[in-house]
Amino acid sequence: MSLPPSVVLEGAILGLDYGLLAVGLVLIYRTSRIVNFAQGQLGVVAAVFLVKLYYDFGFNYWIALVIAVALAAAVGALSELVLRRLFNRPRVIVMVATIGLSQVLFLFTVFPFIRPKKLYRAFPVPIDWTFHIGTFLFSPGEVLTLIVAPVVVIALAAFIRLSSWGLAMRATAENAESARLSGVWVRRTSTVAWTLAGALSAVTAVLASPSQTSALTQVLSPDLLLLALLAALIGGMVSLPVAFVAGIGVGVVLDLLQWNITNPSTGPATVELILFLLLLGALLVRAASLQKGARVGERSSWAMGTAAFRTTGDALRKRVGWSGVILTFTGVALLPFVVGVGHSFLMSQICIYGVIALSLTVLTGWSGQVSLGQFGFVAVGADIAAHIGSSLPIVLLLPLAGAATAVVSVLVGLTALRIRGLYLAVSTLGFALFMQTSVLATPCFTLPLIHRTICSGLPNPESTLISRPSLFGLNLSSEQAFAWFSLGVLVLSALMVRVWRDRGVARRLIAVRDNEIAAGSAGIPVVRTKLLAFALSGFMAGYAGVCLAFATERFSTNTFDPSFSILVVSMVVIGGLDSIPGALLGALYLEGLPAIFGSTPTVEFLTSGAGLLAFILYLPGGMAQLLHQFGDLVTAGVTNLRARRSGAPPSDTSGASDLPSADPASPRQGQRSAAGAGALSVADP
Amino acid sequence: MTDVAPTAVDHDRSHDPDAPRTGPARLEIKELAVAFGGLRAVDGVSLVVEAGSIVGLIGANGSGKTTLLDAVSGLVPLSGGRLFLDDADLADYIPEERSRLGIVRSFQDCRLYPELTVEDTLMLCEDARRRVGVLSTTLQMPWARRSEREKRKAIDGVIASFGLERFRLHTTAHLSTGTRRVVDLASIVLANPRLLLLDEPTAGIAQREAEAFIPLLRRLHEVTDSTILLVEHDVPLVFELCSNVVVMQTGEVVAAGTPDEVRRDPRALAAYLGASDEALNVSGPLAAASTPAVPRDEASGEAASGEAASGGAPSDEGG
Repeated sequence: MSLPPSVVLEGAILGLDYGLLAVGLVLIYRTSRIVNFAQGQLGVVAAVFLVKLYYDFGFNYWIALVIAVALAAAVGALSELVLRRLFNRPRVIVMVATIGLSQVLFLFTVFPFIRPKKLYRAFPVPIDWTFHIGTFLFSPGEVLTLIVAPVVVIALAAFIRLSSWGLAMRATAENAESARLSGVWVRRTSTVAWTLAGALSAVTAVLASPSQTSALTQVLSPDLLLLALLAALIGGMVSLPVAFVAGIGVGVVLDLLQWNITNPSTGPATVELILFLLLLGALLVRAASLQKGARVGERSSWAMGTAAFRTTGDALRKRVGWSGVILTFTGVALLPFVVGVGHSFLMSQICIYGVIALSLTVLTGWSGQVSLGQFGFVAVGADIAAHIGSSLPIVLLLPLAGAATAVVSVLVGLTALRIRGLYLAVSTLGFALFMQTSVLATPCFTLPLIHRTICSGLPNPESTLISRPSLFGLNLSSEQAFAWFSLGVLVLSALMVRVWRDRGVARRLIAVRDNEIAAGSAGIPVVRTKLLAFALSGFMAGYAGVCLAFATERFSTNTFDPSFSILVVSMVVIGGLDSIPGALLGALYLEGLPAIFGSTPTVEFLTSGAGLLAFILYLPGGMAQLLHQFGDLVTAGVTNLRARRSGAPPSDTSGASDLPSADPASPRQGQRSAAGAGALSVADP
Repeated sequence: MTDVAPTAVDHDRSHDPDAPRTGPARLEIKELAVAFGGLRAVDGVSLVVEAGSIVGLIGANGSGKTTLLDAVSGLVPLSGGRLFLDDADLADYIPEERSRLGIVRSFQDCRLYPELTVEDTLMLCEDARRRVGVLSTTLQMPWARRSEREKRKAIDGVIASFGLERFRLHTTAHLSTGTRRVVDLASIVLANPRLLLLDEPTAGIAQREAEAFIPLLRRLHEVTDSTILLVEHDVPLVFELCSNVVVMQTGEVVAAGTPDEVRRDPRALAAYLGASDEALNVSGPLAAASTPAVPRDEASGEAASGEAASGGAPSDEGG
């Protein structure tokens, strides 16, 4: 078969857009060491505004373009000013902040002074050139992309290579502290990078929009992001030209694949699988260069973690904490009596999300591996439930599905043995997309090269009912019953994670994350410990998937949308990265609040995106920090009450550290009694 | 290779069923070579560290001392030569397994685990020796609970004897360098070493505290009943403490022997010690250092009299 040049060229034009996005990702990564999820959205506001200027205000196209690009540059600079406050925080938090940023930016596009009056109008294009290859007509928008994209990238590359700003950017990327000491204004350099990225994003949006039907471009979708990330990774996250060319390559390959595979039912799944494999390949091949220099970055990324508070070992404080937990769960357990069927369903939903969030607490909070594909693992469990859920009692099904998912999770985690931290985000995101399109949305897909067909999906996902089982003779089919069941699963999961935290599992994961070499020398099996994190996290996600399948009772393509994975990451960050109650609070906040207080998607976006940013900026420890402070207050109050009742003078209310009953082991107490500390001595163990 | 009987203070460890072998180990390095690309960081080094001895490794920066330790603990691949611990060829063991053989390593940066508490850091050492499966931990099987209790008891003793009680729940990131060193030493004692590789234990520590390290290290040697291979820049400390001194230069051994021999060796002088007395007197006159130094508490500035084993008390940056 011969390659039709029109297909190649069409792919290349799509690829130019991926390339531009990839260049933007690399630009930000080089200066801030984060994957900027807002890269697509930075310019969309400007692109939408351009439509408004052109149609509603009758501006000349070029003037409107200049205004739009300038607006996007300003948006980029402003975003940097917001994110700047996170300079010393873990990179994963900054990454999640960009997710929040992109959601907030999306809101701007629906503001009346930016949103055009008529949405469904062709995006303006300044030229009307077209040409044919064979029977294929290339539109003016595509011609524009073909001309403008290379020019923009060459100009950008020249700026970075030749100007002093570019040199400063490169220095900052290598070693921000050294650069700072040698007089590079690191923060301003970072502002410049974000300004450029904003302008670049506007160009990308302006070039990509003509091929879309609506002027309102959505948030950078996960699959588009994945393609751009793939290109950026091939460039090693540092090389602009390589990333750009790789973007074009990705576009061509994708278009050829789609042209080649004619079967409409298995086609998309196979394409997605090949893409996933390509991604893994790129990661593994580029692993060496990705690691270079990144080590230092990762070191600082976790050293300033969220461990701002610790339990003090004070008995009263513990009792207060436990009472709070028990009261809360009793209250929640009584809820299905009061609320309606819809809210009972919501309750099971929140409980299941809580379990998924806990699985990320283990993987991201302790082991430091960022997973953007947790819903991929959830989907594995759900798929198992859909296939064999009716033939197994649920007490067996849950651990079995968990174990199977743990195996899958370890397999995906194998990539993490060569690459660390943020890069895993990319391979897990790829996995989640693959699960969505290949395994669930299509009943069968063909493995490339060996041409074997695998049928793991449901023949008719939308109409297949997954009937709820019974638990020890109790029928779970009512929403109330299922809400209690989900709550039970959540409580057991929380207890299990607590055991892991307090009885030795968590410390091994954290040790390997913090200092792999020292942990290895101390006799902790590094590889096994890393994979253990994946197994545990996959196990939890797997049985959560079973619960989710029974809760929703049928799948659609959107049940396991990868954007849910990003939602779960947000939950964990909002709640507090390594805190168990935090994960649950995060689930409640992100799932519960929008469902209770608002029904329109706009309101949901507002509560999550803006709320997410506010939490990250102003509450470093997440909601868990608030909860902890509240617990301290209650403890102080109880102490005062007791003291008053026994006639002793009340202690002041400044906090738990002043409790007279505080254990001498309390660190805050200890610091004050520095005198009389035991002299250092070595005695026989 | 024949078995070497323990020569140092004989502690009764027959009650410890976990350790397959006890007592100090003998390390033999044969024609060891390590290359990073074209750079031969260690180039044909042969030396024997006798069981129960303390051997000091000195040399200028970049002379290959740390790389030698890395090679023994298995962190860098060898490009030539062999390593024996007693009669075991170390090539058969990956780093994690070497710690089971009794090779324990301390690091120059002493970073430990920034987000683990002191308690957890010490528990970790016990984890490596008493493994409990994740499943039995999750289900809280009786043996898992018992093991956890025993570990806690073991570290309670060490925490008490190192005076770390008030730092128990602090994360390592919040400790001063000196306190981190003490935590590091505590984990060494817990690890039950047979061969101890110490990489600049006094780096980043005030001069006065460093003096206190001589009796401390001596006591560590006694208590752990191990062989020590020590890399150190503080030459007087090395000469005072070690039974043998090895001088390295650009990856090769230029001089080796007892402190007195090395001090007179012209090659050692040329390679590292220099002709001046300054380097020799970093820790003050040798005679003064041989008497136990008065330990000082950095935080309170108050002197605390103690036994010979006392050193600088741990201090806290934030306190």
